[in-house]
Amino acid sequence: MSILVDKNTRVLIQGITGLQASFHTKRIIAMGTNVVAGVSPHSAGEIHLNVPIFNSVQEAVKRTKANASLLFVPAKNVKTAIKEALEAGIKLIVSIAYGVPILDVLEIHQMVKEHDAILIGPNTPGIITPCEACLGVFPENIHQKGSLGIISRSSTLTYEAVLETNRAGLGQSTVVGIGDDMIAGCHFDKMLELFHKDAQTKAIILIGALGGAYEEKAAAYYGTIKNKKPLIVYITGFENTDDMGYASDILTHGRVTIEDKKRIFKDVGALVLESIDDLHETLKHLK
Amino acid sequence: MNIHEYQAKKLLKQFKIDVPKGFIAYTSNEAQRVAQKISKKGPWVLKAQIQAGARVKGYFIDKRARNISGVEIVKNIKNVSQVADRMLGNNLVTSQTDDKGKFVSRIYVEDYIKTPRSFYLSFVINRIHACITLLVSNITDNILDLAQKKPESILKINFNLNQKIKKQDILQILSFLNLDDTFEPKLKIFVQNLYKAFIDLDATMLEINPIGLTSDDRFVAMDAKISFDDNALFRHPDIKQMYDDYETSENVLKAAKCGFKYREFSDGNIGLIVNGDGLASAVRDYLKQINKNTACYLNIKGGVDEDKIAQSLKIMMTNPKVEGIIINILGGFLRCNLVADGIISAVNEIGLNIPLVARFEGTNKEMAKEILSKHHFPFLTADSLQEATLKLTKAMEDND
Repeated sequence: MSILVDKNTRVLIQGITGLQASFHTKRIIAMGTNVVAGVSPHSAGEIHLNVPIFNSVQEAVKRTKANASLLFVPAKNVKTAIKEALEAGIKLIVSIAYGVPILDVLEIHQMVKEHDAILIGPNTPGIITPCEACLGVFPENIHQKGSLGIISRSSTLTYEAVLETNRAGLGQSTVVGIGDDMIAGCHFDKMLELFHKDAQTKAIILIGALGGAYEEKAAAYYGTIKNKKPLIVYITGFENTDDMGYASDILTHGRVTIEDKKRIFKDVGALVLESIDDLHETLKHLK
Repeated sequence: MNIHEYQAKKLLKQFKIDVPKGFIAYTSNEAQRVAQKISKKGPWVLKAQIQAGARVKGYFIDKRARNISGVEIVKNIKNVSQVADRMLGNNLVTSQTDDKGKFVSRIYVEDYIKTPRSFYLSFVINRIHACITLLVSNITDNILDLAQKKPESILKINFNLNQKIKKQDILQILSFLNLDDTFEPKLKIFVQNLYKAFIDLDATMLEINPIGLTSDDRFVAMDAKISFDDNALFRHPDIKQMYDDYETSENVLKAAKCGFKYREFSDGNIGLIVNGDGLASAVRDYLKQINKNTACYLNIKGGVDEDKIAQSLKIMMTNPKVEGIIINILGGFLRCNLVADGIISAVNEIGLNIPLVARFEGTNKEMAKEILSKHHFPFLTADSLQEATLKLTKAMEDND
């Protein structure tokens, strides 16, 4: 078991013929992902990397029964591409590009909600269930099948956490980067819920950051769970100095510090790390 | 991206928002000239243009301007050029700047308008609810403090992107502000225009503090602060041109030209080169735990160009505060070998007399290690952050 993606996920790639998209598509196929279709209006009818290319998502879904979409389209086209995927009935969308305009993200958010779909990203390395499916740009050969669920806002720290779970011999069930943009498609609390329903996942690592209140939401949710799985939390980030920090500070009733965020997790029984380096020891004791 | 008050007001005027009459001045003579253009008798308001708030309570670094703040009401035309002269070329310190303040290169001269009533109003992006939030308060002083201590004194109304501002919203605002319902039509137009400006300009924040209500019942934007979404600037080439280089340090600008983020801290002697802000702050947290401090960091996330990587590495290598460098790259999208090539090319050009430890993980890490090992400079390499820190600390001690 795993969450959201596995070997049965039928993956469609929007913008498959681009340079970066081709590079990563080749890699994720090698990692075992079941890529069934690509969409690129200019190359419809062709076969690229052994994958049939279609003119539209609608057509690709009709012909291949694709049920998840990975987007490699440029930031300014993300809104249109997600709209197309949603209208074709896709319920899981992963959007990699960073730099999507914030007002586009607000619109995307509304559309995703109306279609009752799940959006991972934007600005994310994606989602991976080791040896089964990778919808993203994770480094090759670092993931091992196992029992830790990882959710993170920082892509590089996700890799660090993956390496540590390997060292501890625990491996990963599923790894999700929720994205590091101002607004994430999917929040930590939703992922915590899914990981608690998943039998393969024995414990969860959550890597949060300053800015926004996804951590507060997640902690509140974790507090309500009856049969809690162990939750290891690391929060980092630089003090808010920009204007977005200022605006969200007003909305969250004042300046929120890393210590504030750590405290709310400690209060609900999570294991809170002081440094990412402490992950090693904490995982040892988990065994 | 942020802009100055005078630029923001110019934009708001295009959205039919009432602002006091004003002109920008770069010299004290110019200030006097434009003041006379605004009105014959005054008074005038002289406002130092820096991109930070709380100017009224700010002070200037230079002693000759110690008795004035960043916003001054001047009654006599003779004093206009005097006050302007003291502000210009001086550094203004406020609660929102550091203790060096910000350089004042220009001042805005405005018509003084009496406003018996004033209040706070802003539109911001709400990250939690993924919507736009309208904030209103009767108290115009230090809104952040207010949010913490008396959150009930700020009214919040959420709007979805395609949701319009309705009569009932305006009535709610008026009642919150203890203003008469008869202001509804005027305030509605004012708020609707602001909301339109927020959307059309791809703003992330639009703050009017304060909005003044004049004795002849007009709503006027007395101040204006707009932050734009950097990711949407491609839709606004005219706004992009308003960017003021004075507001950013030279090193940050240089890194930005390569597409990277660079940040300096007030203490510390270790430079970090990483790919990702999360990683940067995690390394800094780790160093702090063992009583080491970070001088600066460079985030080369998304780098695909060896030359640009080399260019930005030079910024850090030439920072005199930096006595040792940790390179910690966890390559996914970014390939480690490109970073190694960048290091070599930078060192070949400018040399390096401080220790440098590199830790590579992920895409093409072996290639990167090999590139460094072939160079005559004794680069140190490590397999974990802990090892990298230990090696660097030791090398820095030996270097002393």
